[in-house]
Amino acid sequence: MFGSRRLLSAALIAITTSVVVLSAAPVTIKLATLAPVNTTWHKALLDMGETWNKTTEGRVKLQVYAGGTQGDEASTLRMMRPGVETLQAGLYTSGGLALIDDAFNVMGMPFFFETDEEELAVQTKLTPVLEQRLNAKGFHLLNWGTGGWVQIFSKKPLKTLDDVKGSKLYTSKGDDKMVQWYTRNAFHPVALLPTEIPAQLKLSTGLIDTAPYPPYIALTLQVFRDAKYMLDARLAPLVGATIISNETWKKISPEDQAKVTTAALAMEARARAEGPKQDADSVTAMKARGLEVIVPDAKAAADFRSASAKLVASMRGDMVPADIYDMAVAARDAYRKTKGK
Amino acid sequence: MKALAAKSEELLATFALGGIMLLPLAEIFSRKFLGAGIPGSGPFAQNLTMWVGLLGAAIAARQGKLLSLATGEFLPKGPIGNVAHIIAGAVGSMVATLFAFGGVALVKSDRLAGDIIAIGVPVWISDLVLPFAFGVIAIRLAHRASPNWLGRGIAALGIVAGIYISMHLDILEGQSLLPWMMLVIVAGVLGAPIFTLLGGIAVFAFLVAGSKPIVLMIKAYEELTTSSGLAAIPLFTLAGFLLAEGKSSERLLRVFRAWFGWAPGGTAVAAATLCAFFTLFTGGSGVTILVLGGLLLPTLMKDGYRERFSIGLLTASGSLGLLFPLSLPLMLYGIVAQNVSIEDLFVGGLIPGLLMLGLLALYGIREGVIAKAQRTPFTFKEAGGALWEAKWELFLPAFVLGSFLGGVATLGESAPMAALYTLLVQRFVHRDLPTWGDVVRVMGDCVALVGGVLLILAVAAGLTNFLVDAQVPTRLIDWTQAHIHSHLTFLLALNLFLLLVGTLMDIFSAIVVVVPLLLPLAQIYDINPIHLGIIFVANLELGFLHPPLGLNLLLASVRFKKPVLEVTWATLPMFGILALGVLLITYIPWLTLGLLHWMGRG
Repeated sequence: MFGSRRLLSAALIAITTSVVVLSAAPVTIKLATLAPVNTTWHKALLDMGETWNKTTEGRVKLQVYAGGTQGDEASTLRMMRPGVETLQAGLYTSGGLALIDDAFNVMGMPFFFETDEEELAVQTKLTPVLEQRLNAKGFHLLNWGTGGWVQIFSKKPLKTLDDVKGSKLYTSKGDDKMVQWYTRNAFHPVALLPTEIPAQLKLSTGLIDTAPYPPYIALTLQVFRDAKYMLDARLAPLVGATIISNETWKKISPEDQAKVTTAALAMEARARAEGPKQDADSVTAMKARGLEVIVPDAKAAADFRSASAKLVASMRGDMVPADIYDMAVAARDAYRKTKGK
Repeated sequence: MKALAAKSEELLATFALGGIMLLPLAEIFSRKFLGAGIPGSGPFAQNLTMWVGLLGAAIAARQGKLLSLATGEFLPKGPIGNVAHIIAGAVGSMVATLFAFGGVALVKSDRLAGDIIAIGVPVWISDLVLPFAFGVIAIRLAHRASPNWLGRGIAALGIVAGIYISMHLDILEGQSLLPWMMLVIVAGVLGAPIFTLLGGIAVFAFLVAGSKPIVLMIKAYEELTTSSGLAAIPLFTLAGFLLAEGKSSERLLRVFRAWFGWAPGGTAVAAATLCAFFTLFTGGSGVTILVLGGLLLPTLMKDGYRERFSIGLLTASGSLGLLFPLSLPLMLYGIVAQNVSIEDLFVGGLIPGLLMLGLLALYGIREGVIAKAQRTPFTFKEAGGALWEAKWELFLPAFVLGSFLGGVATLGESAPMAALYTLLVQRFVHRDLPTWGDVVRVMGDCVALVGGVLLILAVAAGLTNFLVDAQVPTRLIDWTQAHIHSHLTFLLALNLFLLLVGTLMDIFSAIVVVVPLLLPLAQIYDINPIHLGIIFVANLELGFLHPPLGLNLLLASVRFKKPVLEVTWATLPMFGILALGVLLITYIPWLTLGLLHWMGRG
């Protein structure tokens, strides 16, 4: 009698432990991104996934869907929400992040930053606030990503701000405020899907003749074959971020969360360190194949700078929440002061 | 009550269609003259395109016009046919119910997230059309499944099943997909709408994998609201439907006869040309045969052409316009293939389209000589007068083509202009539409056709997702590479395969389902995607005439009140001629690409 009861309790314990083990079952994170397949970002994500798998001993696994195969950013964000949960994470551009919260537009303001260091200073300052806002919307920030400096690629040579305003400029579809902002400021924006850009640039009568791209993407997508001119205006750094849904994040034990974060920050650091070289190498490669780089002369550069201050200020309170905008300006100016600018 | 509901549905659809016509025009005007855009005009127009598609689908369901497989035509009348209808209705309404609840989930999710379309209008308001349309479609599929209430009641069990599964979404998780897939396929063969076939496979694949129908609705939303060419489809269709009303066809026939009628076979050439002209707007939906058949058959016979030839010619001409600019299938191909420019497809289709038309015209001339058909002498007075009388109609294609080939306007700009222009001309200049009620009726017919197409496009996105997940495209590539070694064999296999597809499916479903699978294959065999598109459409054009189920054969049989077999027999020579055309188009890429290269677009 006793023996069998002991057997029973042993069996019960076995069941309970297996339940415990089950509940700590590996968390598989499906991550979607528009970053094209086999690009450095895609590879960096795969590397990060491998590290997660190794350091958490298989408790956190990552599946990456690159190249927009899971849909555009608006769709994949919906697929991460509670109640849907088909996806758990994503590497988004600042435009996609702005769909969650306008505050992220701050990282994509044209002509707001002049150097990587400025951008880093502002980003560091703003990260806690942005993290908080993101968290309130149900997402956890894993790391920041950098995609290089956005340059203006065009079919006709553009030299001045007025040239840029006169061009048929690509803007991201789904961001109506940006379209309106461009139109108000006398640009000629055309809202398209990113996937539509190359085909439209190919046409002699395309919807657009100008598209902003970081050099590395321009090289990867070979847009420079049709848009043969690059205005070296350093519009803005392409900022992105990897985010994970709060539900999924909570499923990971605190110890593993730390490991996941370490690998994510390592990815961020590597991308930041390699960014400038990637930009330069891409431009060199494209130049060798016929790209013409136009560096604005002193007057044009001054025009860009003076106009940009006004342009960017008009985003305050409209596209970028006023408090976030003010924080960014303060952080940037403080940084510029330390550099004696 | 029922009539009121139907009327308000049509009014709502008209409103949405009017929105996608007027918003872009207002935006152009505002940018040009006021220096600022209209806030949200872009996103609102895109969301309205989804409304047009889904409300149109609901109307199509009411009229029993949802596209279905041709196999349903084979069903015998009587008890067997009745049972088949009920099964098809039950499964169809089950799938539609699952979608309706997926739509409800999307509304809730978007409401919670608080996303905005523009100027404070939340996304969930736009989402509402998803549960509404699919719910209405579910009810209508059950209702139309049988003429009596017992049959309808049995079919409505599909709705009950759909509700039950929606309440217990994990009930199928981990189960085998096979029985569900078989159920959906059987229902499709028995005549359930194609969207329930495609969407059904997708939704059950999602459910057994532990995913939810809401994902399919997210995909549907994305599919119907992001592509910039999509709004052009309902707008050009509207232009075509408006032209089909009233006396435009007679005015145009007069023009073509005045200019071609002096030559041997001139009336036949004029008839084929007129058919091509109409088809390029209506997308080979059969509207051409229905609208023009009654006008052209008597004209041909009066001029001494044999009846058999005339019926064959008109049946074959019913899809002739599909390769010409503004053709709906070409636009849809461009949208589905994504990286292909629709304008390039239009340019690429020009010579192949003229080739097909030319081949038929040659046959018509031969017939004209043999039958000693009557000719009308050419006079400048008649030629000029006819042109002048039809100036409004003739201006339309000239304006549309000129505007976007010349780079003046984009497709997205010329489509609303073309629709508005035709509307104004037909309503006020020709007064072919005497009242606004007529306008609403025509718009309702237009959205019903377009809705059937967009519905399939919407649910197919989910199926593609499933196929990619199941690595079907990769396997297909492996299999093809193992069995087909040369470019030429691939093209031949492609012709045969597409002919088969064309007999089974309508051209729109075929494009949506097959093109994503074919594109990577074509890349391996080094076939230009523009060329592939033209091959695809040319083949399916032929499929319209392929016995026993070619759509044109069935429609012509109805229109001319002749048995299908007789129409088929009459059409055989034309089928042979167009088959030759398809082979030429397939194996001589220059026909498609030559003009593009010459224009510097290739």
